Amino acid sequence: MKRPKPKVAFFDFASCEGCQLQVANTGETLLDVLDVIDVVEFREIMSEKWDRELDIAIIEGSITDHHAEERLKQIRERSRILIAFGSCAAIGGVNGMKNNFDPDEIGKYVYGSDYHFFPTEKTRAVHQVVKVDYSVTGCPVYIPEFVEVLKAVLQGIPYYVPDYAVCVECKLNENVCMYEKRVGCLGPVTRAGCNSWCINNRNMCYGCRGIVSNPNEKGAKDVLSRYNIPLDLVLKKIDMYNKCREIKNE
Amino acid sequence: MKDSQYVILKKENFNGFITGLSKLHKLVAPVSKGYNNYSFEEVSSGKEIAIKYIPTILPPKKFFMPQQETLLEYDISKDLHTEAVVEPEEMVLFGVHTCDIAGIQCLNMVFSEHPKDYNYLTRRQRIKIIGLECNEYCDEHAVCCLMNTYMPDGGYDLFFTDLGDYFIVHINTRAGEEIIEAINLFENAEKSHLEELEKLREKKRTVFKKELPIELGSIPELFDRSFESKVWNDLDERCLACGNCTMVCPTCYCFDIKDEINLDLSTGKRYRVWDSCQLEPFARIAGGINFQKTRAGRQRHRYYRKFRYPVNKFSRFFCTGCGRCSRACMAGIRLKETLGALMESESREVNA
Amino acid sequence: MERVVLKESAYNIKKGKILSIKQMTENEKLFEIALEGGESLGHQPGQFVMVSLFGVGEAPISLSSSPVTGGSFELCIRAAGKVTNALHRLEAGAEVGIRGPFGKGFPVRALEGNDLLIIACGLGLAPLRSLIRYIFDNRGDFGKVHILFGCRSPGNILFIDELKDWNKRTDISFECTVDQVDCARPDWIRYVGLITTLIPRVQIEPERTFAVVVGPPVVYKYVIKELLSRNIPERQIFLSLERHMKCGLGKCGHCQIQGIYCCQDGPVFNYGEIKHLKEAF
Repeated sequence: MKRPKPKVAFFDFASCEGCQLQVANTGETLLDVLDVIDVVEFREIMSEKWDRELDIAIIEGSITDHHAEERLKQIRERSRILIAFGSCAAIGGVNGMKNNFDPDEIGKYVYGSDYHFFPTEKTRAVHQVVKVDYSVTGCPVYIPEFVEVLKAVLQGIPYYVPDYAVCVECKLNENVCMYEKRVGCLGPVTRAGCNSWCINNRNMCYGCRGIVSNPNEKGAKDVLSRYNIPLDLVLKKIDMYNKCREIKNE
Repeated sequence: MKDSQYVILKKENFNGFITGLSKLHKLVAPVSKGYNNYSFEEVSSGKEIAIKYIPTILPPKKFFMPQQETLLEYDISKDLHTEAVVEPEEMVLFGVHTCDIAGIQCLNMVFSEHPKDYNYLTRRQRIKIIGLECNEYCDEHAVCCLMNTYMPDGGYDLFFTDLGDYFIVHINTRAGEEIIEAINLFENAEKSHLEELEKLREKKRTVFKKELPIELGSIPELFDRSFESKVWNDLDERCLACGNCTMVCPTCYCFDIKDEINLDLSTGKRYRVWDSCQLEPFARIAGGINFQKTRAGRQRHRYYRKFRYPVNKFSRFFCTGCGRCSRACMAGIRLKETLGALMESESREVNA
Repeated sequence: MERVVLKESAYNIKKGKILSIKQMTENEKLFEIALEGGESLGHQPGQFVMVSLFGVGEAPISLSSSPVTGGSFELCIRAAGKVTNALHRLEAGAEVGIRGPFGKGFPVRALEGNDLLIIACGLGLAPLRSLIRYIFDNRGDFGKVHILFGCRSPGNILFIDELKDWNKRTDISFECTVDQVDCARPDWIRYVGLITTLIPRVQIEPERTFAVVVGPPVVYKYVIKELLSRNIPERQIFLSLERHMKCGLGKCGHCQIQGIYCCQDGPVFNYGEIKHLKEAF
């Protein structure tokens, strides 16, 4: 049965566009994906633009000023489904580190004395600005998960980011635990769904997928001290991706 | 041949045995992953194998019940068409310790019980097990003497014991005998070899000491009295609910069932994937109620599933004493300490 | 890798065709389903089936119809999770997968010849309706029958047309209560208040009365207390526990309560036998 292909556009906000690059680099799977969707705007791979109604808007990047906020709201209005794509969009990501500083201080640092011509706001994740239907977390996104989400969108069913630790998938992959190597890995408090991608490749988990909903903070601190890993180092690491979780929805 | 018999394999022939066997079957054995971690992997030569190893990260259950396995394939493009399937693989597991053989025996009981699990049983049928004796303790986490799994007790096709210059091999099944026959490197065991084996077993009885001062038979009663113990609250503070302890457990078999659909949106598969009672969402129902909200309750459930519930259901403990849960716990929750704490908190209450 | 088709696998499904769908409340629909080839499901009241929508998943759903009905069966489904929401979007004629029936249902033989006090709360009426319909089909086999039903508000009443009929029947007693009135209330709903307030109003002979209760977990604590205060023996109280069964085969562990697997040992339990299970309620 041939269904009409949904019109899909990719948009980028404050981000490195690395997540879109992941899609562009997907290879064969991309061809299968393009069989079922109609990409109408994707500036990394095509020059066409689309300003009409959309079935699916895929948003990369976080929201850091009022121009972005307005543009995002307009996209939301003309899109049936909106996907927050990548950590910047889904949880604020590395741009959230800006929220550690005084806005004036950071403005001066970047733009010099004329910084007030470039008004900026606290970094927010997409869901902190508009309604988000689906989230693909990760820095960058894990393509198999993106494909799962896309299929869920096409089927009209929800996708839930797993609410348990990366450790679960890491054990299924039978990796040597980073703590055996005395490394302060964030796997135990970070949401799974990436198939422990980094640890499979001998890197540690940086917490790019966000924190599980009910972490045992005291227990996690005890673990760090058991392994003589400095707490402030790990807290900074958590803030690298997760600073925006402190913003409550207005 | 009699059904119970011994042969020997000289050490200089070990590599030949492994190479020969790997040509006949997919052969899986413990290999080192560094940091004193090991895993069962496919091998083709003896030098890849870690003959002296502590329990692998994942137990051999991963071959009987893979982390993820298809249960059903479907096609909804025209009429609904489904087919229950299993994708089993013939293989030989070499170097399985007695604790892990005990784990497989537990899983055999679970999946043979009505309603039978044909995915497991079909895989089980195609896997041959060659055991390997532990001559000494692997490390301080093992409780194999308490759990009485440190000596061979069936459940294998062949069983190897390292006696210095040679292995003595117990042939336990016809399938094991076929392996011996196919690889012409074995010699009949003499009386002196059997005496050496007996000497090793005698020595083991002095090396392996009950790790906790409790009789195995009194453990169920200890648990009957410990449901409200404060020990569980202590675990609540420490446990990260990461699920490591259950993933690595040779007798944990909880799973989730999920559907995957292909991009054509009409064909796909239903599969099961290991799940863990330690995870926050495990006992949550669609309406949102969570019947195991606390880490304390979930940890308690895990311990009772090893030391209490299966004793009623299968007349057997589901702890094999392998120590994996303790090794894999970043928070330092140690099975030996938990049991010890239960015993201690009880004696304190009795004396109070 | 070898691929073996497992004809005997418990994960095989039977094909079911949806004959009709009826919207019952905002969140609940009644599905009438027939197995392929007119095969009878052969269930007992209180049992459940696993309903499949391929590509979405499976969900455990209790049977709402009497086994006497034969040719088809009914499921009252609340849109609560991924699968049930997707089921709600189906139309009559659609095909679903069915596994089961699973579990131990209501102990119909033990109930025969006795008086019954049936207490249903909210969606708890869904499994109890299979028992109630069975009783109506075999009315002579049972003594006095009292049915109490409670739910949040008049808008949440399931099987409302049938309840109206039950209210008129002379061979049973029926009472209905709602926690709150936030929309028009039919006049036959006489009470506003929690289900527990109805229990003292029923005339029973405790020693020959069996109580059957189904409702959300919070209800059990209070209802059972009330039943015990009416001197109904613990062993004459039956209830059905809700858990998220994934396999239905006593293996996957999701529905386990201490040493018991809800899907095989339940979902219907004798209160006297499980009251010591601390994680049950």
